[in-house]
Parts: sequence; structure tokens; C-alpha cells
Amino acid sequence: MPLLLGSYAPDMMSKWFVYGVHIGGWDLKATDPVQFHRGWPGVGFTHSLLYGVIWALIFWRVFGSKTWAISFMIGQWAHAITDTGDTVGTMLFFPWTIHIHFGAWAYAGQTGRLTDAAAYFSGPGAVWDLVWIVLGIFSWRVLTRSYFEQHVFTADAFWGRANRYIPMTALLVAYRAAFFYGTCRWIAWSLWAHVVHSYPYDISWGGPHWVHAAHSPPLTWPQLVGVGAIIATGVAIFFASRLEFSRKRWAALRSRT
Amino acid sequence: MPSKRQLAVAAWYALAGAVYIAIGVWFTDFLLSFFVALGYLLVVAWLVPAGVRRLF
Repeated sequence: MPLLLGSYAPDMMSKWFVYGVHIGGWDLKATDPVQFHRGWPGVGFTHSLLYGVIWALIFWRVFGSKTWAISFMIGQWAHAITDTGDTVGTMLFFPWTIHIHFGAWAYAGQTGRLTDAAAYFSGPGAVWDLVWIVLGIFSWRVLTRSYFEQHVFTADAFWGRANRYIPMTALLVAYRAAFFYGTCRWIAWSLWAHVVHSYPYDISWGGPHWVHAAHSPPLTWPQLVGVGAIIATGVAIFFASRLEFSRKRWAALRSRT
Repeated sequence: MPSKRQLAVAAWYALAGAVYIAIGVWFTDFLLSFFVALGYLLVVAWLVPAGVRRLF
């Protein structure tokens, strides 16, 4: 559950304002949807690694759950890193406000909900989603009742608490809902874009090129060096902490014998 | 390989998915929210089978 919430967190509060909504006589929409969604000033910080860390600290220190902290962070990081695949990218290292972007698929959020969906499900983004759907089908065992009961239910206290009011079968359905939704929306939007309408497929790098995509400027050499330094520091900290952890375990084992 | 029971469950979900997709293609607002999909799936894969079991 926290993994799912984390993966939805970056867009949960912002996407409706990017596309715009009509409530009563009011039309609410960001004047600059790209800036609002991914930029600063704006809510682009929701797509940064730091945002996941802050929520993880809240779950850990305020609510006392390490499982929720780590799972939420993995989900949020997965979203933030995945979105670097489009032509706008994300401020991954916020408060540094440069956009990390690989430009694999077109960012078209500013064109509105339907054109954005048509573009996404016509380009490399659709292929990327399909990879995960196929991986999910090959890993079908994780969707079985026994896997849910033995591994998922026991790992997160949320399910036990929910089970006081909701039967196990309903919880199992809720657990499967994320994969159901991801797969069905992929098929439905693909049918809508390519059968009901005739948006052309273009899975070339940066595609589809028929849509007016938004772009971030390419990184300069000093910025690339900075990004490299941040990644190298992160990797070094990770391995140093693992080494320290191994040393402590080894010392504990030796003191026992 | 999945058991017969697991295949039957998968078939029911596939049928539920086909209906969800048909509604979604016709009325795209249905596709926009995970929570709509969750509600739909709870009705189709839990409440309806539970209701049918209670009736028969």
C-alpha cells in the first residue's frame, strides 16, 4: 500500500490543475502547466528525491513505521526517476532546480488530458508501460491469494488493521487493483487512441513527434559534472554504509563465538 | 503452472477487465482514477460473487 501511494504521490495533488477542471462556472487550470507540474516555482519538487526522503522521515519518526517509510520512498523515487524519461524531466536533485531528462518520450501535459493520453500511448512511454505489464504477467504468483497472505499481509500492519473491518477477500481484491488498473488503462487508452481515433504510433526516441512536446534545455557540462558528483557521492555513501553494517555484523558474530 | 482454481479467478478478472475497458473506451473519465478502478473491482470481484454465493 505505501509503495502504491508513494508512486502516485507526485501527481496526486497536481495533475488535475495541469489538465484543468471545470467546477460549476469556474475553469481552474495552471497558466503555465509545465512550470506548475515540474518546475520551481511550482510543485515540481514533488518529483524530487528529497520529497520522498521527507515523507519517509515523517512515516518513520512521526508514525513509527520503517516499512511505510522505505516502501513509500521507493514508490515515490520510482515515479520521479521514471519521469526523467520524458522531454521535460524532473528536478530530481531539488533544491537544485535543473531538470534531469532523457527525452525518450514527449511530455504533452500542457496540451490537455486527451491529447496527452493519446501522445503517451502512441510513443515510447507506451512501450515502457508494456514492459512492466509483461513483467507483471510473468510474475503472476505475486498476485495469488497465498502470496498475499504469506508475504504482503504479514509484512505491513496496515492489512491486519484493515482486516478488523474488511474481509480478507476484499483486501486481496484491493491488493490486485493496482495491476488491474495499470493493465486495463493501458489497453483502454491504446484502443481509444488507435482504434476509436487514428493517432499514429511513433515509438522513435522523443516521440511521438506529431504532438507539440514541451522541452527542458539540455544540461551544460558543469551541470553534468555536478550531477555526476551527486550520484558518485550517493553510491559512495551506500557502499560505505554497507561496509560498516558488514563490519558490525562480523564483530557481533566474533563476540558470540 | 497455475491451478484450475487460479485460472478460473484469472478468467473472472479478465472478464471484469474487458467490461472496464469497454466502459473506459466509451467514457474516458472512467479511466482517470485508480480509486474508480478500485471501487469497480471491489464490486465486480468481491461484492457480486459474495452476493451470488449467498443467493445460491
